[in-house]
Amino acid sequence: MGTAVEGTVRGMFTCEVCDLSSPFTYYGQKPPNTRAIVLLEECFVMKDPFSPDKERFLILGSKCSLCNKDVCVGTDCSLFYTKRFCLPCVRQHLDQFPQQVQSELAKKKPVQKTS
Amino acid sequence: MSDDRGDSRAWDWDSPQCRAQLDEIFFRPHDYIQAGSPEHKEFWAFFERFQRFKAKRDMFGSRAANKRDPHESKKKRSDSQAVDLGLPKEYDARYRINVSVCTRDVEERLGVSEHRQRSTSSGPGKQEVADCRLALLHFLDFTQKQSFGKLAKLKREQKSLPIFQYRERIVELVRTHSVVVVAGDTGCGKSTQVPQYLLSAGFSHIACTQPRRIACISLAKRVSFESLNQYGSKVGYQIRFESSRTPVTKLLFLTEGLLLRQIQQDPSLSQYQVVIVDEVHERHLHCDFLLGVLRSLLAMRPDLRLILMSATINIKLFSSYFGHAPVLQVPGRLFPIQVIYQPIPPEEQSSRSEKLDPRPYLRVLQGIDQRYPPEERGDLLLFLSGVAEISTIMEACQTYATHTRRWIVLPLHSTLSLAQQDKVFDIAPPGVRKCIISTNIAETSVTIDGVRFVVDSGKVKEMSFDPKAKMQRLQEFWISRASSEQRKGRAGRTGPGVCYRLYAESDYEAFAPYPVPEIHRVALDSLVLQMKSMDLGDPRSFPFIDPPPASSIQTAMTYLREQGALDARGELTTIGRLLAQLPVDVVIGKMLVLGSLFNLVEPVLTVAAALSVQSPFLRSAQHNPDCSTARQPLHSNQGDPFTLLNTFNSWVQVKGERGSGSRKWCRRRGLEEQRLYEMVNMRRQFKELLRSHGLVETEESSVSVQDRSQRRERLSERQRLHQLKREHDLQENSRRKVLRLEEDPENAGSSGSDEEGGTGRGKKRKEDTGSNLDIQEVKFKLRHNVNELQEAAAAGQDLSSWQQALLKLVLCRGLYPQLALPDEHNATRKDSEQVFHTRNKQGVVIHPTSVFASDPEVLHVPEHESSEFGADKGQSNRHQLLAFVTLLETNKPYLSNCVRVPALQALLLVANSVDSNADCTRLVVDGWLELSVSDAEAALRVLSSALTLRTEWERLLQAQLSQGGPGSTAGLGLAGPKPSRRDLEKLAEGLVRFLLYTEVSYSLRRLTALQSQNLYIGPQQDSGLPDSQNLNPLFPGMKTEPDPIKGGLRVSSYFTYNCLSDSKDLYSECLRTFWTCPHCDLHMPLTPLERMQHEATCRPAGEQQPEQDAESGKAESSSSSSSLTRLYHCDVCNKDLTLTSTEILKHKRQHLQ
Ligand SMILES: [Zn+2]
Ligand SMILES: [Zn+2]
Repeated sequence: MGTAVEGTVRGMFTCEVCDLSSPFTYYGQKPPNTRAIVLLEECFVMKDPFSPDKERFLILGSKCSLCNKDVCVGTDCSLFYTKRFCLPCVRQHLDQFPQQVQSELAKKKPVQKTS
Repeated sequence: MSDDRGDSRAWDWDSPQCRAQLDEIFFRPHDYIQAGSPEHKEFWAFFERFQRFKAKRDMFGSRAANKRDPHESKKKRSDSQAVDLGLPKEYDARYRINVSVCTRDVEERLGVSEHRQRSTSSGPGKQEVADCRLALLHFLDFTQKQSFGKLAKLKREQKSLPIFQYRERIVELVRTHSVVVVAGDTGCGKSTQVPQYLLSAGFSHIACTQPRRIACISLAKRVSFESLNQYGSKVGYQIRFESSRTPVTKLLFLTEGLLLRQIQQDPSLSQYQVVIVDEVHERHLHCDFLLGVLRSLLAMRPDLRLILMSATINIKLFSSYFGHAPVLQVPGRLFPIQVIYQPIPPEEQSSRSEKLDPRPYLRVLQGIDQRYPPEERGDLLLFLSGVAEISTIMEACQTYATHTRRWIVLPLHSTLSLAQQDKVFDIAPPGVRKCIISTNIAETSVTIDGVRFVVDSGKVKEMSFDPKAKMQRLQEFWISRASSEQRKGRAGRTGPGVCYRLYAESDYEAFAPYPVPEIHRVALDSLVLQMKSMDLGDPRSFPFIDPPPASSIQTAMTYLREQGALDARGELTTIGRLLAQLPVDVVIGKMLVLGSLFNLVEPVLTVAAALSVQSPFLRSAQHNPDCSTARQPLHSNQGDPFTLLNTFNSWVQVKGERGSGSRKWCRRRGLEEQRLYEMVNMRRQFKELLRSHGLVETEESSVSVQDRSQRRERLSERQRLHQLKREHDLQENSRRKVLRLEEDPENAGSSGSDEEGGTGRGKKRKEDTGSNLDIQEVKFKLRHNVNELQEAAAAGQDLSSWQQALLKLVLCRGLYPQLALPDEHNATRKDSEQVFHTRNKQGVVIHPTSVFASDPEVLHVPEHESSEFGADKGQSNRHQLLAFVTLLETNKPYLSNCVRVPALQALLLVANSVDSNADCTRLVVDGWLELSVSDAEAALRVLSSALTLRTEWERLLQAQLSQGGPGSTAGLGLAGPKPSRRDLEKLAEGLVRFLLYTEVSYSLRRLTALQSQNLYIGPQQDSGLPDSQNLNPLFPGMKTEPDPIKGGLRVSSYFTYNCLSDSKDLYSECLRTFWTCPHCDLHMPLTPLERMQHEATCRPAGEQQPEQDAESGKAESSSSSSSLTRLYHCDVCNKDLTLTSTEILKHKRQHLQ
């Protein structure tokens, strides 16, 4: 019970696309206290600050399976389709993605870094 | 849908039984989501939406998409270079989800052979389990997206704050300078961001002060939330009653007053590395003082970092006070604001006594309606000077609003309940604007988004202190230019705005540049007391940023001397030292200390707490007959503190019996429950203070009495409450309600018949949250043990008339010299025209909320008891005085929170100065009240027993105070013997007997100014006074000597005998009358003074003497006995004798016989 996701801060996660940064408390596929839940990729995870329950986790981001950059899970930065892809990589290989993903992406403009 | 569903035809997704079966697979007690939890409920709601969505997609979308997909991907594949991502060809939304749920349970059910499934025909089949799992995956993905969205939004908002650009510069400045001034207007984000920048730069042990308690809590919550709770308990707050501070707290929000108290305990403030003083421009008393203290502290602590945060007002002042500290000015984020001067025409200006004319304000509303289409959003914020003005204008605006249906009118001031205040943050429906009518509270302390129009009356009401009349005064003033700009700025926070100034531009130019700092306006008693206890030397030479006039400090010193907190040399007395450590008014502190002496702790704690918070009685309910009837049993015609005591005790009983049902109970009686919650908290804090000073005994923990199951029950109850509180705290941050037009804000709080949620808001909240959560009730239960409180309340509820009298005396001594005399003609006046006089102010009236305003007869001297003619005119034993808590002048000078006390008895027991003539038939108290007793014998008897009682009271009080705890003198080995229970009981009985049963007829009047001037005979040169050898000490350890100013003889610190100008020769024989001592067999003609001397030392046989003799004989025989005996030279025997006063009298008698 004691080792909730809350745990100690392991480091700062910074999205290399949008610059969002936040401390994370776990990196991997099996955050503590998630029981039957398994992540399908290695993720940067923190305690969900928006849930009253102490043991909820929040996935911040992971590494792009192609370029290995840290990217957040925001839909402007990356997408998950059996694996994590940062949007720049998706754009490079757009033809390999199904139609649904392609049309979704067509609606988006690449984001600029704000800082 | 498909054939294999055939077997489980009995399956029904909507049936609770079927869902329960799936719950047993997916939502077991050890699963991530448990059945019965809020999330579990959300899942099933999500599930229904998800099923509907799937059904829709199956019917339309999927076929078309599936057709095109393989074709297209084949074609594109050839263009692609080198890398094959190995993505599945068929699109499935499930591939977009990066979580998976797998347990053996689920796998078994999915993989199990068909026939086992068939055998249990009613259970969920493979398909159902798969469907449920898929929905769960989507649900998890959905909640992740939701939370991440919030996180991203938060980060975006932080970056968009104007101060964000300066974060590195700020950290840099703090690293390199000991003092930094950060100036920026509200909305630039300094209060929330600067502490975070420092935290993430590695600073720790940061204190951030706020002028308001509420800001401490909300900032701690906000900063903790914004830093994503990553610091957990490392961001905390500490205010008077509440603390979330833990040993790991790195950033603490606290009030200015509290930081000062900490400096008092820890003069080098070693617990902090950084101190941020926020809102310094508001120039609160504590803040100005704190700056002075911190400035001298910096010399001691060169490593300490001090950051002043201010609006962009008078920044130079702060910078130069701290040796030209660097200033970092953050531009505000204001949109252009158009200023329109619309001075009020003379015919619409109201004089001081009249109600405000609403026409100029209504014109602005009309103007807005004409010029701006309703779909262009933007609310209006209207600044008025006070609560009465707000209700006047509100009424008019409400009528207009009901008519046009384009406005929702909301009041905003600090006496509203928090729930009502909170309403201004709710959102108006489309096409409707909020019209918020506010005091200057919305100028800096409350920030409301979405305001586009500001109406500025240019007026403010401020409290000031009139040292001559010893009276607080709430007066209306023109605001300063700085305030005026501040108000204007409120219109441009979210877009371009308009500010209507209801005064001329020339008026604006004539305004003072800045508001008058509080230190120049208010009574400085508490400040001076605190300065004294912090050893800051002469308060007149303290280097304040803007020193107050020396006369204010002088007034405060005099007051503190009157209160007994300072001695004649201006040093702290024992009680003064203690009072300085209690964070309450001096009078309240005195009550607490005095109450702790007797067995009155519980009721005194309640009264002190009740007098320290705003009244729980809602003004609006006063004219509601139902409320008045319901309140009736709570009233006590002894005085308002007793009514408050009854109210609190009854509420606690209701709370114990009905829990949150107390809300309804309060509504019926027109009570603001919030105030009662505040009282409980304050009460508890007072108790802890008294305990830490050794003034009440530490009670044995009641936990030991409970058995294990009770403890466990209490524990699980607490866990449940904590969970409720957490959920509430989270909701608080996000939810904003949409207001309704139909709501009548006038109703708030006044409707007694409403079942739930007396305010419209209460009802709404209930529906919205789907639960009837009373967060105050939750906090209350977390903090207090209701059973214990009930016991305490029960102890205070059935006060005997005996205890009641004692409590009255304690209150009266605490409140002294705040006493008022009923005018002699009150009995012939109407109830509404009753007049009273204080020493410094004539013609004050009782506040309409006081019990004596509705029941003034109890203060009148019964006619049949007072003689109307001749020398006996006005003689009675029933004269009364009012002891009061506040004297505040608004449109009239009002007394509030009064207690009635028997005049002569109370005065003799508490007054600082009692002067008499030779036969003590004429007494003058504090130089303004004259009491004439017709019966000299009775006068003497009364005076004498008062002197004896007071000596004993003082002795026991000093003994009690020297007990001490941490911070008292006890640690220095000065603790004397604890006052014995027997002595205390005897004293209490004596005091009550004196107060209730003293039978003496007297008249009571106020002296005229001329009479007060020529009161004393003045010092006499040796006129018949025997040599000082003969002026024997009346009381052990006390010197009797001629008074150098008044003349006569100073018998004790408060009693001067025979100094009134009508006095006769001190030892004149005609004053001698035969007297028999009730305790010894003495019978002889004595002067009044001789008689009192005898009485002071002669006690009933066998009661006191042996004990005291034994004690003093053993320990300190020389000094103790010398205080009782003295050298007496007998002229008859021509011998020097060492005798006690009684022995001298006996000796003299020998010669007479
Ligand atoms: Zn990103
Ligand atoms: Zn990539």
